[in-house]
Amino acid sequence: MASEFRFHKNGILGSPRARLNGLIFVFWLGMAVVIVRLYVVQVIKHHHYLALARDNVVKVVPIPPLRGEITDRNGVVLVRNGPDFAVFEIPGEVRHPRRELAWLAFDLGIPASKLRHALSRLGFVLPPHMPVPLETGLSMAQVGRVNMDLYRLPGFYIQVMPKRIYPPDNIGAHLLGYVGSFTSSDLKGSFYRHLPPGTGIGKSGIEKEYDALLQGAPGLRRQLVDSHGRMVRNLRNKPPKEGRSLRLTIDMRLQMTAERFLGDRRGAVVALDPRNGEILALASHPSYNSEELSQAMSSARWKTLAHATDHPLTDRAVQGLYPPGSVFKIVTALAGLSEHKLDPDAPFHCAGTFRVGSVIFHDWKRGGHGTLHLHKAIEQSCDIFFYHLGMNLGPEPIARVARLFGLGSRTGIDLPAELSGVVPDREWKRKYLHTPWYPGETPPMAIGQGYLTVTPLEMARLMGAVAMNGQISHPHLLLGETGKGSSQMPPDLTPIPIPKKDFDIVRADLRDVVAAPHGTGHPVNLPFFAIAGKTGTAQVVSNRGKNKGTKRPKADSWFVGFGPFDDPRIVVAVLIENGGDGGDVAGPVAREVFRMFYITRLAEKGNPAPAVAS
Amino acid sequence: MVAKILVYVVRVHPAFLVVLSALLLIDLLTLFSVTPYLAVKQGLWEVFGLLMGLGILLVPYPLFLKNARWIYGVVLALLAIVFLAGHASHGARRWIGLGWFQIQPSEFMILGLILFLTWLFVPEKRDIPLRPARFAAGLLASVFPALLIARQPDLGTAFELMIIFSVFVFLKGIPSRIVTISVLGGLAFFPVLWEGVWTHLHEFQKDRIRAFIDPSSDPSGLGYHTIQSIVAVGSGGWFGQGLSGATQVRYQFLPGAHTDFVFAVFTEEWGFAGALVFLALVSYLVWFGFRTAMDCRDPAGFYLSAGVTGFFLFCFLINVLMVLGILPVVGVPMPLMSYGGSAMIVSLGAMALLMNVRIYAKR
Repeated sequence: MASEFRFHKNGILGSPRARLNGLIFVFWLGMAVVIVRLYVVQVIKHHHYLALARDNVVKVVPIPPLRGEITDRNGVVLVRNGPDFAVFEIPGEVRHPRRELAWLAFDLGIPASKLRHALSRLGFVLPPHMPVPLETGLSMAQVGRVNMDLYRLPGFYIQVMPKRIYPPDNIGAHLLGYVGSFTSSDLKGSFYRHLPPGTGIGKSGIEKEYDALLQGAPGLRRQLVDSHGRMVRNLRNKPPKEGRSLRLTIDMRLQMTAERFLGDRRGAVVALDPRNGEILALASHPSYNSEELSQAMSSARWKTLAHATDHPLTDRAVQGLYPPGSVFKIVTALAGLSEHKLDPDAPFHCAGTFRVGSVIFHDWKRGGHGTLHLHKAIEQSCDIFFYHLGMNLGPEPIARVARLFGLGSRTGIDLPAELSGVVPDREWKRKYLHTPWYPGETPPMAIGQGYLTVTPLEMARLMGAVAMNGQISHPHLLLGETGKGSSQMPPDLTPIPIPKKDFDIVRADLRDVVAAPHGTGHPVNLPFFAIAGKTGTAQVVSNRGKNKGTKRPKADSWFVGFGPFDDPRIVVAVLIENGGDGGDVAGPVAREVFRMFYITRLAEKGNPAPAVAS
Repeated sequence: MVAKILVYVVRVHPAFLVVLSALLLIDLLTLFSVTPYLAVKQGLWEVFGLLMGLGILLVPYPLFLKNARWIYGVVLALLAIVFLAGHASHGARRWIGLGWFQIQPSEFMILGLILFLTWLFVPEKRDIPLRPARFAAGLLASVFPALLIARQPDLGTAFELMIIFSVFVFLKGIPSRIVTISVLGGLAFFPVLWEGVWTHLHEFQKDRIRAFIDPSSDPSGLGYHTIQSIVAVGSGGWFGQGLSGATQVRYQFLPGAHTDFVFAVFTEEWGFAGALVFLALVSYLVWFGFRTAMDCRDPAGFYLSAGVTGFFLFCFLINVLMVLGILPVVGVPMPLMSYGGSAMIVSLGAMALLMNVRIYAKR
């Protein structure tokens, strides 16, 4: 071509035309790379990237389920869900934050700084379109005032959220427990992994024990969102599954009676049905407010509760460890009878003192009880008699019988963090205290003092076994789930290898503790209801722990009894810390529980009031 | 005159017109799916650019080349004004406001530089080898505005200027020994260059390069652009998600969807099949430029059309490879496609220059 020679021939690739061809070659090369890459990304890995794109736009929001309700055995609702009004702010939609927060604070009647604090805790972390709860638990008056003002508060709104409502006056607080938001340590259990944040989980009591049943299953809301996380459209909802309602063995009338007569004294009341182990009442005082604990509370308030000297967070009925005092004489007597070292009809002289080596033990009654046998010794709670019996037996047989009754090991009640007392013997002392057993330690053990500790629940179970001829029950609180028919648990009793006649002897004695005018439990006596039982006045040796600060602590008072005598249907164990005399202090509380049981369960069936010789 | 030119183009180059209009319509459709308002604006710019292209066709290209110095000078002055104004306000500025619209002088520098380099490198009717003095002048004429633009900061456009310079120098031909020496020297002075360039980059420019090396290292931050772009392309599949199903675009997961990543939008909506059609259209334009240059007997016409073609194909390739995650996100927009008034006018102007050479050059 003529134009060819017009171009110079210098440089790489010869001529400009050749180099332009080179550029075009680069272009084709690039196009090949582009097409191969497009094919790989769009065709071969299409599903992978499509899934990624779907992940981008589909957000799965869990919907919290409604927690199940808790009722007592008669269907009285103990714990239900109620509305909790909360005011929320969407920071991104608020035009004049300072001014409008001040208005809102005025409507709520709280300082604006509190609102600002709530906002600063969450508002700067969340994206601006996410609502921040400013104040929860609004009263109706507050809701009304804020509602009137909402027209000039854009970005603020009131929302109703579910809240647990517990019985008034903290009734059954320890038993029911409370809920709280889960912590990172709770998340380790796989069960909580699917819960939306902020869902309450059971923290103690029934709420914790049966959390898996009460909780239900969260639903899912699948939303189409844009890159800012704002919802564009709802795709599909899977409704949450409500938690199951629980029906407890508790009888609210007995529970309220127990708490009412416990009053302001520190102590516990356990009432159970010895035939099947159903707990009818489980009270502990001092108590706490479950609703207060279920809400967000300040750490200062929490510390006050947790470190209070009267330990309101402790459930004394299943966690309190006390010396059983004279109530334990039942065990000593049964040990003596079953070991054939005690003749119930043999006379015994009580002079008021008992000597082991150089140590002299005194009877609670100055001067002693004179000549008596087992019947009077139990009825009047003669210490010397049992010192003597204990020395005859030694610690091992007593401990063996105590363990047969389940002392020293947990009862297995369906409550979290149950504790068990201690049943000491030689081996125990060597193992835990690394000292030998001294003979002087046997007499205190025989009357329920010394190293021996029990919980009120253990004592109630023990008395139940005595009432049922050695059939020991397994205490439990769950009666059945509401709505699934009342599938009552079969009577679940375990026999104890002690002859029935021994129980007959002891039971007759226990009856007179209450019925005989000089019996220590006579304050419990009801003319129409045959009650048997045993008092206990456990001397408190320690000046530490619950008795911290008191100079000479009064004795813990016990009464553990059952009724009706011929057909036992209820066992009541009452413990009052530092109450004093068992019969006079713990006895009346038990009497009122028995009375309420009679009124509600026996009298209405036309039961004749048993004639009582008093 | 206008009618004559139009009739000529329609009768002689109908394929070029069809391909160009198809690309412009695809551009409008794609932008419409991102933000309808932008598509309307872009449509106005396209009309404006086509009218300006028609104007360019009226003037034979030798006249442009004769006045290339002045065109270049005016654009450089505008750039300087923007640079100084930006400095005065202590912030980045790219625009000159002209009442109801703004222009970016940096974009016009592309056209200015192409014309100026053609004029500088082909001073006579005959094509003579590149002398060091002219090479140095060309280098200065490219690097100085590129530096001004890079300080705006607009690394993409500065990069485009350097592409233009490289294309011209490559076409003009460099002796192999000089190529060898500069490659070796470049390697030797790499640390110095590294210091000189890397330390003067803005932090976000450095971040883009870092993110390119490993996009998944910080998916919500630096690598976000690349990852979301590939996800958009990949979710297209064979035939695409359609205008309404393209969730990456519709719910704003793809940043810069209307500018640098418009190709990702298109492929998500139209899939692999649509992408092939699109690539075919673009390839035709490159082929058209290549034929124009090859058929041209006038060296000036050759360099002008070859320069425009080289610029077009490199910008196109770099942008697409960037969208596909093969090149770092350097911010080179796609000619004729990315949203931007000045860029659209410049792209259409470049196309008009090609056609101008086609019409007026001796064959």
